[in-house]
Amino acid sequence: MSLRETIKSAFESMMFVWGEPLDSKVAADIFNIDRKEAYELFKELQMEYETQNRGIRIREIDKAFQFCTWEGNDEYIRKLCTPVKEKRLSQSAMEVLAIIAYKQPVTKAEIESIRGIKCDRVIEGLIKKDLIEEVGRSTGIGRPILYGTTKTFLKNFGFKNLNDLPRMEDISDVIRESEEGEAADPLQITLEIPNK
Amino acid sequence: MVYKVKLDVFEGPFDLLVYLIENAEMSIYDIQVAEITKQYIEYVERMKRIDANLAGEFMVLAATLIEIKSKMLLPRRVSEDDQELMEDPRSELVQKLLEYKQYKLVAAFLEEQEERMQRIHTKPQEDLSVYTNEPDIYLNLDLVAFVKAFKLFLERKKTLEEVRERYRIIERQRMTIEDRIEQIKHLFIKKKRLKFGEILGGERTRQNVVLTFLSMLELMRQKAVKVRQHVNFGEIVITVNEKEMAAKEGNNR
Repeated sequence: MSLRETIKSAFESMMFVWGEPLDSKVAADIFNIDRKEAYELFKELQMEYETQNRGIRIREIDKAFQFCTWEGNDEYIRKLCTPVKEKRLSQSAMEVLAIIAYKQPVTKAEIESIRGIKCDRVIEGLIKKDLIEEVGRSTGIGRPILYGTTKTFLKNFGFKNLNDLPRMEDISDVIRESEEGEAADPLQITLEIPNK
Repeated sequence: MVYKVKLDVFEGPFDLLVYLIENAEMSIYDIQVAEITKQYIEYVERMKRIDANLAGEFMVLAATLIEIKSKMLLPRRVSEDDQELMEDPRSELVQKLLEYKQYKLVAAFLEEQEERMQRIHTKPQEDLSVYTNEPDIYLNLDLVAFVKAFKLFLERKKTLEEVRERYRIIERQRMTIEDRIEQIKHLFIKKKRLKFGEILGGERTRQNVVLTFLSMLELMRQKAVKVRQHVNFGEIVITVNEKEMAAKEGNNR
């Protein structure tokens, strides 16, 4: 086995034992290689799982990697057992989260001006769920708190990092595409978005 | 506890306005302000009856709409070079609505993403202590010390057993006034008039006397009984007020 193969195989075992997202920096330090190199090896490993259509996949959250199931197998997992479902967010929480995700760092006043309604309670709820956090204070009058999204947000919504979010202008295309994709794949459940 | 009243499906004033505009099949760039303002205010009026606070938040936009409506009535001046038009009074609102709509779209996207992620499962981190190298702790004892310790243990056990044999822990029964009242009510089923001594029964402990007396006072307060004492330290006579007693009974059920 080449050295690269050895390290990759070790990373695979480490991820298995660790369970939680394994930081590529932590993994790199074990082999005394630099983070970039470790990151690339993780990406290679991730690719191998993808191309072999494995039931276990590797996902990336903020340069950390974690084993997870392939989303297409959800139906069968649910037949086997009932995994704990996180409670889904309310419509208003989703709107506030959307604004924070794209405008961060952002003050409460800015969020409220976009939605035209007070958001204190919603912001409180999102902080409690660890989806957003205070990231500092604005230099403006009164030095209001600035909010940003957390790692949990990336994890729960399936983004590698903030750059992984689609561009604002592309959102409607992304939604359309995924709707078409869902219709084509019989394994997936179509999500109906009720028209108001 | 805060109760949140949700009115239809509108998340805020802009949400309502966007709905009204789309419902009327108007272009967002060419809002018929008079018509939309009318509909908007109608809705807020209805809302006011349910939740005045929430309606208040919608009121600000109603005021903005009215302001725009009045500005629309003014003749729009054309500037001197005959080219540039004065700014459309609606444009600021349109900008805001467009921005809001954009974020609504993002929210829908995030919702979809959330739904997708719920189909992906991971294992929580397990207890890793089995992998960590905890050295076992050995007891550093010689045989004599061990025997001593064991003897001590046996002795302590013996004493404990002896104590358990001779003593019993007696728990005092604590009856509540409510319980006592129930008992007293029972007595009144047979007789309408009882002496305090009769409801007290055989147990003349201080605890029981006080409890019974307090229960009697409570029944008096509820007007379920009438109490008479003709001379100081004389016998207390309690007469049941059947109507009230029955009513209280009904309330309790």
